[in-house]
Amino acid sequence: MPTKSLTMREDSDVIIVDVNTDLGSYEAAELRRGLQELIGQEAEKIVVNLNGVQHINSTAVGALVGVAKRLRQKSGDLKVFGTADHIKRTFDMIGASRVLELYESETSALAGFK
Amino acid sequence: MQEYIDLKMPSRLLYVSSILAFARRLAQQIGFSQTRMNDITSVIDEVCSNAIEHGSPSETAGIDLTFHCDSSQLEVLVRDKGQNSENSWLTEGWVDEFLTRRTPGSDRGHGVYLAKKLSDHMEMQPNTHGGTDVRITFSLVVIPESVYHTV
Repeated sequence: MPTKSLTMREDSDVIIVDVNTDLGSYEAAELRRGLQELIGQEAEKIVVNLNGVQHINSTAVGALVGVAKRLRQKSGDLKVFGTADHIKRTFDMIGASRVLELYESETSALAGFK
Repeated sequence: MQEYIDLKMPSRLLYVSSILAFARRLAQQIGFSQTRMNDITSVIDEVCSNAIEHGSPSETAGIDLTFHCDSSQLEVLVRDKGQNSENSWLTEGWVDEFLTRRTPGSDRGHGVYLAKKLSDHMEMQPNTHGGTDVRITFSLVVIPESVYHTV
């Protein structure tokens, strides 16, 4: 995944990760690696922006679930926003929307940490 | 009219997105809806990723795909070579057991479930290479012309 496909910015103590590529298994590995690097840098609150994603597979959803669970062990969390309807359907079908908090907008996702 | 398109790709996840772009365009040309195009893309992604991760002894082994289109459906055959074991990795019995043990919301093990749910038909057969043939079918729902006239 080229660097520009995964960009990161900060809002207070929250890291916002903008994903600008579709997420198949290859890209999922890069996403997992990028998120784990953030955890290694002591990030505890992460918001993932999926507005730029038109396709996601189960491996990528699993990467988000795995990272969210790891962050919760440190009293942090990973929240997701910008899921198109068909992307949300994938989360629903595999049960990930029971585990991950999905938000409509960046503002609401950030507010979820307050 | 029936047409077949054969593709062969290295067993590398890097190339799956290119296959998906092709499949999406083909589904659009055949006349599938946007929703169905999303489903087709998801299913082919899951099946190809599994074939590469679990059904390939090396990157050079390769995955063979055959797209068979006719006026009523799109059928996709994904053939892997197996991992040098006597039996193919994916069998109907294994899938049934696996789906029973699947935990919703866990971080792995949903690919086959998604593929089965999103396709109209999916079957797995051992092949002569020691691998698995996964055949997935998507029916083309044709809206009768009369329906258009009533709108």
